[in-house]
Amino acid sequence: MSDIKRGVSLYSLQDSYYMGDLDLEGCLRVVSETGATGIELLAEEMVKQFPNPIYTEEFQNKWFGWMKKYNLTPTCYDAFLENRIFDNRTLSLGEQVEMMQRDLKCASLLGFKCIRTLVSTPIDVIEQSLEYAEQVGVIIGLEVHAPFSLNSTWAQGYLDRLAKPGSKYKYFAFIPDLGIFSKRIPDVLADRCRRHGAKEECIKVVDDAYAERVEKGFTKIEYSLDLGAANRAYRNANGEEKLHKVLESMGAGPGDYEYLGSSYTYSWSNPQDLIDNIDHICHTHAKFYNMHEDYTETAVAIDEVVAAYTKAGYTGYLNSEYEGGEHLRDVMLVPDQKQLAMHQECLRRAIGR
Amino acid sequence: MAGRPVYDADSFKNVVEQGEVTGFQFAFKLQYYRGITLSIIRDIAVTIDGEQIPREDICLTVNGETFTLEECRTVISPLYRWEFGEYALVTVKKQGGLAAGKHHISTLQFIAPSYMPFPLKNTVDTDFEI
Repeated sequence: MSDIKRGVSLYSLQDSYYMGDLDLEGCLRVVSETGATGIELLAEEMVKQFPNPIYTEEFQNKWFGWMKKYNLTPTCYDAFLENRIFDNRTLSLGEQVEMMQRDLKCASLLGFKCIRTLVSTPIDVIEQSLEYAEQVGVIIGLEVHAPFSLNSTWAQGYLDRLAKPGSKYKYFAFIPDLGIFSKRIPDVLADRCRRHGAKEECIKVVDDAYAERVEKGFTKIEYSLDLGAANRAYRNANGEEKLHKVLESMGAGPGDYEYLGSSYTYSWSNPQDLIDNIDHICHTHAKFYNMHEDYTETAVAIDEVVAAYTKAGYTGYLNSEYEGGEHLRDVMLVPDQKQLAMHQECLRRAIGR
Repeated sequence: MAGRPVYDADSFKNVVEQGEVTGFQFAFKLQYYRGITLSIIRDIAVTIDGEQIPREDICLTVNGETFTLEECRTVISPLYRWEFGEYALVTVKKQGGLAAGKHHISTLQFIAPSYMPFPLKNTVDTDFEI
């Protein structure tokens, strides 16, 4: 029996919200109906005139009323450090710390235990926000999202600076996104590329190359403040250019190149990485792309992840984060509520509760 | 199969000022998953029946306030975010507006969320009748 808990990121219900089928309270009700007990909020997604309402007692009372009514616990608040909010400069370090503190404050007002900050967050901004994080009791969780990974120079760069003695350093941690444990490329992506003309033989070449990278191990991304350059170097180190030439020789079209390019947004890490880093993990995004009728997921090795987390004694949340909609919404209304309910059932079976 | 709607089908109309048709309007939703400050909009590029509209002839209205695309660059107030799931109204200056009948519009939504290594460009197309 595992002590892992189940939650939902409201990123998962973006299509129902976009269509006006669910408002924020409606989303919370739907989450509660899946049996999940943790909630993850993207304030900029569902709180209008962000961040103003969060500072009001009226909104706070409403929020905590909903938590009680739907038996939900605030787990993680997803922050977006908009450090290029103006097109002619990047915000100064001081301005970025101020913005991080705003999000830490908002998170604490709504009862969240951690915030998710994005891979683009400079280390200095995190380090200089830690004292405030400790004051308000909210951990700054750096998302580890494909193509990034744990046990890499990128992750080590953060640990070297932020995993130190001193109470404030306990307020830095990682938030793995389970997209880094993708054993396969999601089927919904292949289907989208087929609609764009991708040929079966080209899809097979890309799939086989992915399987080979899973087998032999991905070359990990290097730490860099220039994410674009780091990303290009990562792709080349994992054979994109070579595969591009192979596809070219096969007379590939736009759909084939789309499949190749998109395949590099998924990655496979050994779940042992979770065990190695367990002391530095505060929360988890249980990313998923497509649930099948038999409650299996198309890409993510959920059972292996849960086994690793159980072995490591993880007692935090796995929050469903549905990202398959982007491959569907140009041709259909995304069945996000159904997909979410199925993923929660899949997690329930894996965790055993 | 039909995808997720982007434009408000009922929103297309000519703009009449002091008895003169000065342009046309439509409303559409941002193809992203959170609301944004208008300052991260890099462009809203409108092509109507194959004709590209000059950038300076395009305005955006959110929460009752109208901004040119140039002005959007400095709009960071929480009052004037382009909220996720909400329509923004686009006003296009075009003497005489659009003729009665069928039209095709293609609009680029070009935004630059800070964390993305590459900015986000979405072109959305639709046919409508005025």
